[in-house]
Amino acid sequence: MSLVASTSPRASQKRFVFVLAAIAVVGVGVLGYVATRPKGGGEAIDPNLPVGTAQGFLMGSPDAPVKIVEFADFECPGCGQFATVTEPDVRERLIKTGLVSLQFFVFPLPMHQNTWAASNAAYCSNEQGKFWEMHDRLFYTQDLWNTQATSSPDKKMMGYAKDIGLDEGKFEECYASKKHYPNIKASGAEAERVGIQQTPTLIIGGKKYVDQLSYDLIKRLVDEEIAKAGKSDTSKKGAK
Amino acid sequence: MRRMVIAAISLVGLFVAMYLWLYKLGVLGQLSCSIGSCETVNTSKWATLMGQPVAFWGVCFYVAMLTVAVLGTLERFEGDRRIALALTVMTGGGVLFSGWLTYLELAVIHAICQWCVVSAVLVLVMFALSVAELTARSPER
Repeated sequence: MSLVASTSPRASQKRFVFVLAAIAVVGVGVLGYVATRPKGGGEAIDPNLPVGTAQGFLMGSPDAPVKIVEFADFECPGCGQFATVTEPDVRERLIKTGLVSLQFFVFPLPMHQNTWAASNAAYCSNEQGKFWEMHDRLFYTQDLWNTQATSSPDKKMMGYAKDIGLDEGKFEECYASKKHYPNIKASGAEAERVGIQQTPTLIIGGKKYVDQLSYDLIKRLVDEEIAKAGKSDTSKKGAK
Repeated sequence: MRRMVIAAISLVGLFVAMYLWLYKLGVLGQLSCSIGSCETVNTSKWATLMGQPVAFWGVCFYVAMLTVAVLGTLERFEGDRRIALALTVMTGGGVLFSGWLTYLELAVIHAICQWCVVSAVLVLVMFALSVAELTARSPER
């Protein structure tokens, strides 16, 4: 304060403008750098890519009394947490018991640079009937292929194809062709159409849930849906 | 002098908020986050307010703060108490909002975003300076 008091207002104003200008230059410089630096695996997605067919990958019986729809991004940490922590219980206790079917839609978010590669790998695995194997592999190893981990996820994807027992030649051909990109785009468009704003989002009984749902809460929601439909309680079918 | 410091802090905050906003727009790729889990916070449902990313509202807040603070440094507004009052009200709102977001990070999302913490600290410092400025400009003095 004493320093300011001892300087003229004009000098003080000049110094102020100088400090603001310095902050602005540094700020613009840093933002410019991070916005233009090569991003890991930064794949440019053609904005004119045609829109294909939105495909939800189904697990469980199509006749299951309760249908859960999930919109997820393979590179989103929350989705990884759901897939590795909660989903195993959902599969064992609700899907395998025939109470629930799970339909998975890919929703690639723009901030994830390797998510299209991962989605591509999942779609190509589906051609050989191993979508869910690749789904699990991707989520369980998310920190090994995400944007922070690598700038070239393709090798990782090839490795996963081998790990889950795919015909590597067919997978590579499919993966390199990017023929499913229009379908991935369509899946994202479907997510936007139904108003999904973040991942993972679960739709249970027509309601969207965006918090990390625990197994117990999902079970309760499923029970409520079954009760609403006048069907028998899940406990009668042995789900715990 | 305090108004100048507030203006300078607002400009720093503006760049922090812009960084998070550009991330939400998909311009930046991965967030630089050495402490905490910025991505978990910024992809949660709490990162959106009234259809816009919270970071966007942060940008608006800091632009407004910068504008008022810079106006307050102009000679004709130098003794104007309304500027001090406006700064106090704005930063007071900012403190409450930042407090709410920090609560969500700790108690609901269970993840902390270092850039959100930086922003919260900047708002808190600006609030303290604004209160000091308002006190200094009180009519009793």
